[in-house]
Amino acid sequence: MSSQPRLSHDILGAIGGVPRPPTDVVVEATDVHKWFGRLHVLKGVSMTVRRQEVVVIIGASGSGKTTFIRCINHLEKIQQGRIFVNGHLIGYREVDGRLVEDREQNIARQRQEIGMVFQRFNLFPHMTALGNIIEAPIRVRGVPEAEAIETGRALLARVGLSAKENAYPAQLSGGQQQRVAIARALAMKPALMLFDEPTSALDPEMIGEVLEVMKELAREGMTMIVVTHEMGFAREVADRVVMMDDGQIIEEGTPEHFFTSPTHERTKAFLSKIL
Amino acid sequence: MQPDALVAAIQFDPDFFLKFVFQPSPALIGGLAITIYASVIAQAAGVVLGTLSALAGMARNPLLRAISGVYVWFFRGTPLLVQMFIVYFGTPYLLGGIDLFPRDVIFGVVSLRGAVLAGIVALSINEGAYMSEIVRAGIMSVDPGQTEAAKSLGMTYRLTMSRIVLPQALRVIVPPLGNEFNNMLKTTSLMSIIAVEEMFRVAQAANSATFKTFEAYFGVALYYLALTTIWSTIQGRIERRLGAGTSRSEQPGLWSRMLGLSRLRPDGGGAR
Repeated sequence: MSSQPRLSHDILGAIGGVPRPPTDVVVEATDVHKWFGRLHVLKGVSMTVRRQEVVVIIGASGSGKTTFIRCINHLEKIQQGRIFVNGHLIGYREVDGRLVEDREQNIARQRQEIGMVFQRFNLFPHMTALGNIIEAPIRVRGVPEAEAIETGRALLARVGLSAKENAYPAQLSGGQQQRVAIARALAMKPALMLFDEPTSALDPEMIGEVLEVMKELAREGMTMIVVTHEMGFAREVADRVVMMDDGQIIEEGTPEHFFTSPTHERTKAFLSKIL
Repeated sequence: MQPDALVAAIQFDPDFFLKFVFQPSPALIGGLAITIYASVIAQAAGVVLGTLSALAGMARNPLLRAISGVYVWFFRGTPLLVQMFIVYFGTPYLLGGIDLFPRDVIFGVVSLRGAVLAGIVALSINEGAYMSEIVRAGIMSVDPGQTEAAKSLGMTYRLTMSRIVLPQALRVIVPPLGNEFNNMLKTTSLMSIIAVEEMFRVAQAANSATFKTFEAYFGVALYYLALTTIWSTIQGRIERRLGAGTSRSEQPGLWSRMLGLSRLRPDGGGAR
């Protein structure tokens, strides 16, 4: 397809190689509960993600999968349970066994290590593609501007968008915007990447170009948690697929397991609808 | 003056009028200067106060929210003229005889009449209350996804506001801000009542000295009209610049809109 980006086979080379998480277990979530008011949306979710693992979370809308990954970088509060990333308790301090929300600066520091890609891209519309990518490295990490620009250009080149560095988001297609958004998250050299339905808002002909970038990242050894309905993507690169339903994980296994012998009735019903 | 003379002819002195407008007295030029700098300072201070009040009003801390709420409630709910009297005449009584606004207030090399300073303070505080609502609406117009994206990149609240949210809110804030400044240019005339020698006060003095009532007041009206017209063109330019990057085609400016001209974007716009 003509819209396929000319991908380099070394995207992470642009940021000096695979960011190496400091611990073997990158994400350790135990018994996470969340309520929106009286609505119990996460009912004791536990998950362990190891270094360089790619975990795909599937499930019907309303099953809590998006809410769960938003808890991992504390965009959502949790009321019970613990989430550790790189060995650090996310968003909270533990005081006498109870969770007390951490200081804003500490939460911001933890988020620097966790990249996130959103369904609606959320590029900054008042900045160019390159401006979007270099903003946080310069302002948050304190990277010198020249170095940030060099890294930013290298990232844009490797997601196939060298020609667009001065384009504003409104001048880019959805697929191009999402590739810039991935480059923006990578520029912070995160140890973990979260993808929240990254292709759901895209026109069908643009889904491929975004999935290509994500597959390449997975092959290069990025640690990733991906909420998606793209089972082709799961089959190709996921180490593990997790099925969520009604705020709980109901089934977990290799992609092969989900394609050949799903056990749970809900899983079968869900897969029959999306495959 | 005889009543039949009033009916018989229009009492208009063109020579006086033209001289008043086109050969302005030093007093009128001084008044023009006060009108301009009082407007600029009060509007700038109003934007700062309004932004702080808007941020306080959206804060998690209930005390900050309450302070912002009471501030907006009081200063939008009482007349500016009364507020000006409270600031200028009232505060010395409140403070047990300490006059915040003596005849001359010295700021380094600049000295200012106390009344001018009091007028500017009252205008600033009043304007801040209106700007608070405008800035709040601007911040709320920014997609929450922008804040989430900024946070997820590790930005603090401060950075998120200053680099991501407020610059985008500006597009919504600037048009009403321009109207506020247009109003401010005219509202400074209220300072005449606390004896500030701004343009309107000068026109009143010209009237009492010459009894050329219509000429003096209409003349000064033309000065206000000139100020607001110049401001409108500046505002149009600012709005056009802020439109860059947010849409595929450039926004037409004030004159283009009025005259129906269109400007083409040099790089041809969209690039799908």
